[in-house]
Amino acid sequence: MFDVVVIGQGLSGLLSAISAKEQGFRTALVSIGSGKIIQSTGVMDLIPGSHGGLKEWMEFHQLTVGQKQGAIDAVEQFKELTERLGYPYSGDPEKPVQIVTGAGHVKTTTLYPQTIKPVPERGHVVVVGFQGISDFQPAYVAGNLHKHRPDLIIDTMKISLGKHSQRTMTQLDAARLLDQEEVRNECLTQIKQQLTEKNIRRPSLFIFPASLGIENWRKTVEQFTRELGTAVTEAPGMPPNATAIRLNERLKKQAVRLGIRFYSDTTVTGFKADGQMIQSLMIKTVNQVTELQGKQFVLATGGILGGGLEATPSGLKETALGLKTDEEGALLNCPVNLHPVGAANGLQNTQYGITGGIFSIVSAYQTINQVCQLASVEGGTRSA
Amino acid sequence: MLDFDLFEQTYEKCLKCNACVVNCPVSNTTLDFGGPKHLGPELKRLVNQQQTIDDKRIELCTLCGNCDMSCPENVHVSTLTAYAKAIHSDQSGTKFRDFVLSNAETVGKLASSFGPITNLAMGMKPVRKVMEMVMDIPAERQFPKYRFKNFKRIYHKKTAGTKRKVAYFVGCYATYNAPEVAESFIKVMKYNGIEVAVPDQKCCGVPMFANGQMTQGLKNANYNINSLLEYTRQGYDVVLTCTSCTMALKKEYVSFLKSAGAKELASHVYDADEYLRLLKDSGELNMDLSPMKEKAGYYAPCHMKAQGIGNPAMDILELIPGYEIQDVGAGCCGQCGTFGFKKEKYDVSMRIGKPMAEAVKEVNADYTVTECGMCKNQLDQLTDKVVKHPMQILAEAYDSYR
Repeated sequence: MFDVVVIGQGLSGLLSAISAKEQGFRTALVSIGSGKIIQSTGVMDLIPGSHGGLKEWMEFHQLTVGQKQGAIDAVEQFKELTERLGYPYSGDPEKPVQIVTGAGHVKTTTLYPQTIKPVPERGHVVVVGFQGISDFQPAYVAGNLHKHRPDLIIDTMKISLGKHSQRTMTQLDAARLLDQEEVRNECLTQIKQQLTEKNIRRPSLFIFPASLGIENWRKTVEQFTRELGTAVTEAPGMPPNATAIRLNERLKKQAVRLGIRFYSDTTVTGFKADGQMIQSLMIKTVNQVTELQGKQFVLATGGILGGGLEATPSGLKETALGLKTDEEGALLNCPVNLHPVGAANGLQNTQYGITGGIFSIVSAYQTINQVCQLASVEGGTRSA
Repeated sequence: MLDFDLFEQTYEKCLKCNACVVNCPVSNTTLDFGGPKHLGPELKRLVNQQQTIDDKRIELCTLCGNCDMSCPENVHVSTLTAYAKAIHSDQSGTKFRDFVLSNAETVGKLASSFGPITNLAMGMKPVRKVMEMVMDIPAERQFPKYRFKNFKRIYHKKTAGTKRKVAYFVGCYATYNAPEVAESFIKVMKYNGIEVAVPDQKCCGVPMFANGQMTQGLKNANYNINSLLEYTRQGYDVVLTCTSCTMALKKEYVSFLKSAGAKELASHVYDADEYLRLLKDSGELNMDLSPMKEKAGYYAPCHMKAQGIGNPAMDILELIPGYEIQDVGAGCCGQCGTFGFKKEKYDVSMRIGKPMAEAVKEVNADYTVTECGMCKNQLDQLTDKVVKHPMQILAEAYDSYR
């Protein structure tokens, strides 16, 4: 019997589970697939695709002014967690910044890892791509960036990672190569050589794909900054982005080390309820259906993109438990011990199908605090 | 040409999202591997109803199953790569070494018959140099020990007379290399008033699937299904102490054979700790466990994680008063059954294992607990901590209770 059972291991699910477990509750996480963080950029926006600030964000999610401090606290909690996990996030929800993406688009975001620097209005930047990484084309990035930043001088170059691949290389492959010092040295030599050839002096920023190391991201950023004599940034774009993989790997490792029980590769096929209370989930493992009992349940299955909602000709369908929803995907007659977080709250909380990250963070922390209060009241002692 | 009748349609749901590649321990270590997405669903989509393609890059797939676990669309990636391996070994031939390694059972029988001599010889540098030259088995690689007094010589019970009856699928490792694991399991069951029968059985087939020996592997699968169904139909539960054998009986037999028998058997199969947890949930578990003031690090084998059963070993060991156990939170060990015994894969195997060794070091427990014999082999080689099976610890806790 678990105190808290979380369904889904995206950002909302992992944060909910970690938070519940850190507060001393016996926690299980049920999932199919490895979660959607790996498909993301790893940066946390307020409203995706919008330049709106905290005020617009609160209006978008229909939050009251009284809830503002709670939101800011949740963001602080996330920053504290990522700091502890060795992958700290910077940023302030009251002061969104503009960063460049792997397509050269300039977007507004709120929280970003230390491998990312905001893109300046003017000055001189150099976009560096890697041969073989087709998802990041420096000339394309430069062309688009120029539209957003006409006063910026932009140079481009392509360098070789020096390794032959038997499959289509991704930004993640490049990141794992840059974990190795010899590859970093080889890359820096080529960049310096091309700077001399192109007669480029003292640019203010180097823009790379989201590839500056995984385990050794700190070493990579420090060495590049030191040897190039100026700031470097990652421009996250097509997945897998190292920015997101680092976060995902660290969150999962933390969750496992805390002792959260992962029921991986399982599908929730239904549940048993006593009136308005869920007693247990029916989960289909490889070839058996088993029952997972819990006191409180967290629905972190995402929206349409995450797979928690399915658009059918007869309207939206909640996929994990088969619950009824309104036309926006919000749960109708939600069982009292089931708590939707993040995008599972329905489409009114997503823009272009995603929550932008900040809503998931705030929703996860606020929900789990309520859940933990409920679990202690009803469950008596905590069984860590 | 080998024509495998593979009715595997799940590849159609592949969105090419890369989740499997991101989570593949081999892809994350070397660019020489074609990757689970390319050699699984993409290759299948390409060749379906066309000419079969033999792709050499499949050799680096270890069949660890992390691709299956990571796929959000429930594509059976490892089933597809297992067939790609079978096609490759059928069309390009099988190395003598791979044939030997895939026959873990025959090797076990022979090696344990000459137990002390085998172990002595395997520890001698000149012998290992010859093995490296003739067989491409790296001289630096440590081997598990073989026991003359193997489990087959010790235990002969074919039936059980208790209310709950267990049919034990021992597996090659606990039979020939670690009979103490099998004996501990029998003991733990006895403390719970359960008699254990050991049905006739052959190697589960996992080393064969991993070496492309699909025909032989499926022959073994059918043998085991027939033998074990005779027991399950008489009310026995099939319980195992090896997570890879468990995976084969729970999942792979069904995926490969799609037979009614395979499905019937799968619904009666339990990991040993999972079975004990079941007893605990129904109030049947003997709780006479002596306190143990020890701190253990748990290493989760890939084939345990892939069963979707949470973490039963930790659930059970945490019942021992005073016992502390923490999951070290590591990925694949890199030994991957026979993979790590091959010279051309040795370097990749060591590199995959490195983060695991670091995780064990970070947690710094008294010793490491894991269910898988092959993971233990890699842990023995890469860490300085003793490695124990959960059943050994439990048996000890029951033994010292008064």
